[in-house]
Amino acid sequence: MKWISQDIDMYLKSKEYVDTAVLPLFPVSLRDDIKQTAAMSEFISLLSIQLERQFRGRLVMFPGYSYLKSFPEDKLISDIKLWEKELTEKGFKHVLYLTSDSSWKALESQFDGGLIWLPSLPLEHMDEQYKNTILDDQVKQLLQLFLQKWQSGE
Amino acid sequence: MSKNRVSRRQFLSYTLTGVGGFMAAGMLMPMVRFAVDPVLQAKAGGNYIPTPQKVADITEVPTRVDFTFEQQDAWYNSEETGTAWVYKDDKGEIVALSPVCKHLGCVVNWEGDKSNPDHFYCPCHGGLYTKDGTNVPGTPPIAPLDVYPYIEKDGYLHLGKAEPKKGA
Ligand code: FES
Repeated sequence: MKWISQDIDMYLKSKEYVDTAVLPLFPVSLRDDIKQTAAMSEFISLLSIQLERQFRGRLVMFPGYSYLKSFPEDKLISDIKLWEKELTEKGFKHVLYLTSDSSWKALESQFDGGLIWLPSLPLEHMDEQYKNTILDDQVKQLLQLFLQKWQSGE
Repeated sequence: MSKNRVSRRQFLSYTLTGVGGFMAAGMLMPMVRFAVDPVLQAKAGGNYIPTPQKVADITEVPTRVDFTFEQQDAWYNSEETGTAWVYKDDKGEIVALSPVCKHLGCVVNWEGDKSNPDHFYCPCHGGLYTKDGTNVPGTPPIAPLDVYPYIEKDGYLHLGKAEPKKGA
């Protein structure tokens, strides 16, 4: 389900079936890595659309968490912990973060939710058709990962 | 001097004819085009979207067919993608099913669960459908998978808009 009123109505009606929260993490920088952070955010946002389509009945795709690359690590960790607390308290059994920014890998051990890290692909040079195929492939791989997560949690 | 003057009455009648003419043309033009141009008419009535699937290559095993089409939302054109599960049934008829689970809308997969061969499986809450799209009682979905109407054109499969299965 997307973060739109229509889908949230559906969520409220069928809460017992929706146990997974996905939060995309979007890096923003205005320094030398401005272009990379834009590409990462682009890739993750496209991927999150496809992922939502595949699993819309069981997850809520939250609007992403955007952060400056210049934020200190403790701020990132404490922000994520706040999200995590709220989401788990409100009944989400699985909390997953979706990102292309590899700096999260070093922080992963400090929070409970699962980190899904995927290297961003250079989508800007691909035509629409090819882009969709690539994204589809990625979603297929994530399918396995989600199934494992769900099976282990039950 | 008064020769060239347009009287109020004349002026009104000129303008009204002009405007009326435009309005009539505006209404008639599309009608005429529908009446005389069969190509245009077929397009308006049909709305079948081409897929990359050759009809000759369709087998008895449900295969995933992805297609893209332009979607127009008000002023905004976007490229949308769609998916269908396509196969030939025992009578040799083509069946194209929507992959959208009738429970809460996840995407189902053919034989997506090893312990349920010959079924469509929904990974979200274990929904099951038989090959013809009928939901298996006891699993969450409450209706069969939607069915795409189809046509064959130049050897390729073209799909319409998925509809709830008839006679279910
Ligand atoms: S969405 Fe398919 S079983 Fe619930």
